[in-house]
Amino acid sequence: MLIWFLPVFLVFLLLGLPVLFALLAAPGLLLWLNGQERDITLLYRNVYNGMDSFPLMAIPFFMLAGELMNRSRITERLVEFAQAMMGHLRGGLAHVNILSSMLFAGLSGSAVADTSALGSMLIPAMEKQGYSRKFAAAITAASSVIGPIIPPSGIMIIYAYVMGESVAALFLAGIVPGILVGVGLMLTVTWMADRYDFPVATRRYSWRERGGASLKAFFPLMTPVIILGGILGGIFTPTEAAAVAVGYAVVIGLFVMRTMRIGDLPDVLGRAALTSAVVLLLVGAAMAFKTVVSLSHAPEILASMILSISENPLILLFLINLLLFIVGMFLDAGPAIIILGPILGPIFVSMGIDPVHFAIIMSVNLTVGLATPPMGLVLFVASSVSGERIENIARAILPFLAVEIATIFLITYVPAISMTIPRLTGFVD
Amino acid sequence: MAFLLTILKPLEWFNDWAGRIGRNLSVAAIAIMVIVILLQVFFRYVLNNALPWPDEAARFMMLWLTGLMAPVALRQGGMVAITGVLELFPAPAVRIVSILLLCLSLLVLVIAAQLGWKHVNSGWLFSSSSLRLPLSIIGMKSQKLKLAWMYMSLFVGVCLMISVNVELILRSVLSLMGGDDRLRPVPGTKMAEPT
Repeated sequence: MLIWFLPVFLVFLLLGLPVLFALLAAPGLLLWLNGQERDITLLYRNVYNGMDSFPLMAIPFFMLAGELMNRSRITERLVEFAQAMMGHLRGGLAHVNILSSMLFAGLSGSAVADTSALGSMLIPAMEKQGYSRKFAAAITAASSVIGPIIPPSGIMIIYAYVMGESVAALFLAGIVPGILVGVGLMLTVTWMADRYDFPVATRRYSWRERGGASLKAFFPLMTPVIILGGILGGIFTPTEAAAVAVGYAVVIGLFVMRTMRIGDLPDVLGRAALTSAVVLLLVGAAMAFKTVVSLSHAPEILASMILSISENPLILLFLINLLLFIVGMFLDAGPAIIILGPILGPIFVSMGIDPVHFAIIMSVNLTVGLATPPMGLVLFVASSVSGERIENIARAILPFLAVEIATIFLITYVPAISMTIPRLTGFVD
Repeated sequence: MAFLLTILKPLEWFNDWAGRIGRNLSVAAIAIMVIVILLQVFFRYVLNNALPWPDEAARFMMLWLTGLMAPVALRQGGMVAITGVLELFPAPAVRIVSILLLCLSLLVLVIAAQLGWKHVNSGWLFSSSSLRLPLSIIGMKSQKLKLAWMYMSLFVGVCLMISVNVELILRSVLSLMGGDDRLRPVPGTKMAEPT
């Protein structure tokens, strides 16, 4: 009986009820119909208990760090660095775009922030060199999905918390898949550059000039080193690492690079606080939802349904990727993980898939969904940054999406891609 | 319509005011969170003396930040929702369904407020494990902070969201009645990007 909360939930969502209220209304309604009023009280308390968490605090901190880095124009230094390294190749600025996204991913956990920060700089620059606007917008959107795959990553913190996994393990597991997506995109650009005769961006830089650009980008590039080094070395927890990243961003923005003023801080803090509140409340509601998921035996019932389709985990992984991809087209990665993680995670873990590996499959797939038409959030941002119509970007992005989908399957069927680094460092046994 | 506008005015005023205060307090809260956690790291590594309270103090700030900022987000339409499917239907139907959905949200919030009130009251029985009110400064005995002060964050957030939700319903009804020109836009803060 209680299991009916899932279809009710789905209807609420599709009608456009905010995810937060749908997460509470659907289980609440069914509990009430079932006469389990006492469990509705539990629902409320679990929202509170779900939010009252130290690991979760990494979310506002990383969001704040990303905002601060953007505001202090650290992005520009990263792009200059990428240009010094790859600008001389055919299709130079397209490569620079991808490499900048990969570097930016080490500072921020957000694909949308990546698109708006890099897009506003690189799309006009690419147009000036003769790329079409839709191509420039498409490569910006396609490469920005690397943001939440390479650590730090907002959605991985959420997944780790909701599913009780280690944030550090997920962060480490995301490194190689993120690089793989970037390399895949670069290979596509190389292939297209020969076919369509893309321009080179600059002359080849001398190593002395490259050294200079690296030096200018030194402080921003140290951020991922501090975050990952600190977590790996057992110096701080991910939450503390995130706070250190905020402190570091403030110091370089205000005192080292002097690209930010104290007066900028309240606005940056306010924006980060606003978004954090939405995400935190959503996570709290997800924790409450999760209690009802287990009360209703939904994973067991769904598992038997799924297993009746096939018992071969390889086929099921294929199907689940399809499902995730479709969900990702309509829903942002964060809410999708919050909703689907507790339902799908236990099913696949019981089939012998490592929980960390499954987390990476979900995260990468849903993140690519951010750049997928018709509802990809990143496409909307790319469209508003570039002024290009979203339909045109959606068409131009297709070859890159094909590469990203191929990468998803590679990550799905070769667990070693995600699991090697966390295993070697002892975060997964 | 005149009647609805008369109820709307004070609500708008209250939500403006609560939003402004909430925003300022949240800016302070998130700054304190960062400072407190950095202090924790500093004391543990540099001074070799782990402090007991930063963890809980930062969580206290985070809970209040959420309670105070969630209503602001709700008011500017910042709550995540799927909007694409409904847009396939004719506009008048969409407007009516969205009013119904707002009413459903209101129902959730009202029930949450009732449960929240009980939750807060239960919190007077328990004390925080590490947070104290330093009353010794003014010559009184230090007291442990009651957990109710933390529980209150979500309750206050829910109550403020009720007020916002009622405003949103009134606005939608007025807009449905053709009163768009008499509504003023909601004041907003830009959001950071979560994903």
